Amino acid sequence: MLGMKIEDLSAFYGSFKAVTGVSMNIQANKVTALIGPSGCGKSTFLRCLNRMHEVIPGAYAEGGVHLGDQDIYAKDADPVTIRRRIGMVFQKPNPFSKSIYENVAWGARINGYKGDMDELVERSLRRAALWEEVKDKLKKSGFDLSGGQQQRLVIARTLAVEPEVILMDEPASALDPVSTQKIEDTMADLKKRYTVVIVTHNMQQAARISDYTGFFYIEHMGDPGRLWEFDETDKVFSAPGRKETEDYVTGRFG
Amino acid sequence: MPRETFQQELDHLVGDMVALGREVEASMDTMVEAMQAQDAEIARRVIGVDAGYKQRGLELDEECIILQARQAPVARDLRLIYTVQAVTNHLVRAGTLSEHICRAIVDTGGVEHDPDLASTLSEMARAARNLFHEGLNVFEMRDIDRARDLEAADDKVDLLYSEAMNLIVNPSDNGGGSPEWRIRAALIVHYLERIADHGVDVGGRTVFLVTGERMESAMQQYRERRVESDED
Repeated sequence: MLGMKIEDLSAFYGSFKAVTGVSMNIQANKVTALIGPSGCGKSTFLRCLNRMHEVIPGAYAEGGVHLGDQDIYAKDADPVTIRRRIGMVFQKPNPFSKSIYENVAWGARINGYKGDMDELVERSLRRAALWEEVKDKLKKSGFDLSGGQQQRLVIARTLAVEPEVILMDEPASALDPVSTQKIEDTMADLKKRYTVVIVTHNMQQAARISDYTGFFYIEHMGDPGRLWEFDETDKVFSAPGRKETEDYVTGRFG
Repeated sequence: MPRETFQQELDHLVGDMVALGREVEASMDTMVEAMQAQDAEIARRVIGVDAGYKQRGLELDEECIILQARQAPVARDLRLIYTVQAVTNHLVRAGTLSEHICRAIVDTGGVEHDPDLASTLSEMARAARNLFHEGLNVFEMRDIDRARDLEAADDKVDLLYSEAMNLIVNPSDNGGGSPEWRIRAALIVHYLERIADHGVDVGGRTVFLVTGERMESAMQQYRERRVESDED
């Protein structure tokens, strides 16, 4: 599995610079959590990692993002292929208005998947820890599922196109504690096969599930967000290197 | 500031712990006084304090557990609660040892003492008490530079330990006191050395609290000694 290397990345919305000068290595088969106060550029940064940021009119990124050896911002890099290799799960579950089966099969089908589709759907649902709950109702609509199940369905849909990296933008923030725990358990399993980057506002979630933690911070109002500290999660949550990180993780601001 | 209530609870916790430490120190002062005066009546004042210290230790421990359960502390908050639990243990144990020493003084009130040994014990008791006091100060002031000086002070206690043991094993010409006294003196020497170690450890815990790093050398010395002594 491949990791990612980010060099001096800045993100803009038109003339507004939202994120500046971020460099970090995202280790393969590890969970990297991005934390920080609202509006400090975590989600913007995350969307730069699979070229989703530029989808917004006027938005663009500068700097280097590599998946393994490939420069994903190279002129000949195809954003659609990049987004297949680097999948994304959003805050709110967004299943298609199709059956559970089709939700999972759809992405693989349009990507020209030629293998056994039943097998792919089952495998993806198993990896997303949803199979046992839906195996008898695959023809039902994705909307019939609970919020937590829908989010795992979306994860299964992401896995079905066999990505290398999975980006998650607060995947459990709209879920109840039991569903949150299931998503977290799923992630522990996912990192065996994928590289995972997750944005979360839940500090304890970051502490529980991630191997590395990046803290984003804005020093002065109106400045772009920066990567303030990046280290092993155990270090960030026991003895962080910078005062602002410590103030944030202990809940003294933000 | 967010988490104001939590901060107040932490301040309260630390205040309670330091108050316990100061009470243990007061018992230690009485112990030193009793040893210098060889006065069983003074020593008797410390008998029984241990139960109260243990009870307070349990209460502090419980507060720490509840804070962890309710507040899910991380970083400096986590280090603080962990440190309070550890330091509380050192304080309670030092209090127990002070009582043990006073009991030994009471029990040997009527037997013949060796003045040289008694004088060395008194000096060692003062040194151990001062070291413990300094350890608690280091914690209160979060003064980790002074924590490093604790090790030098502990070396002095260790020298007195050797000197006292030598007098116990090789009694001086004036008789060396009764065998019962010498056995009790050996125990007192051991207890005093442990009290000093607890003081060093309080300093070491403070280094961890402030920096997140272990004061490895201090802890290592402590561990090596621990192998050859009991849990107290």
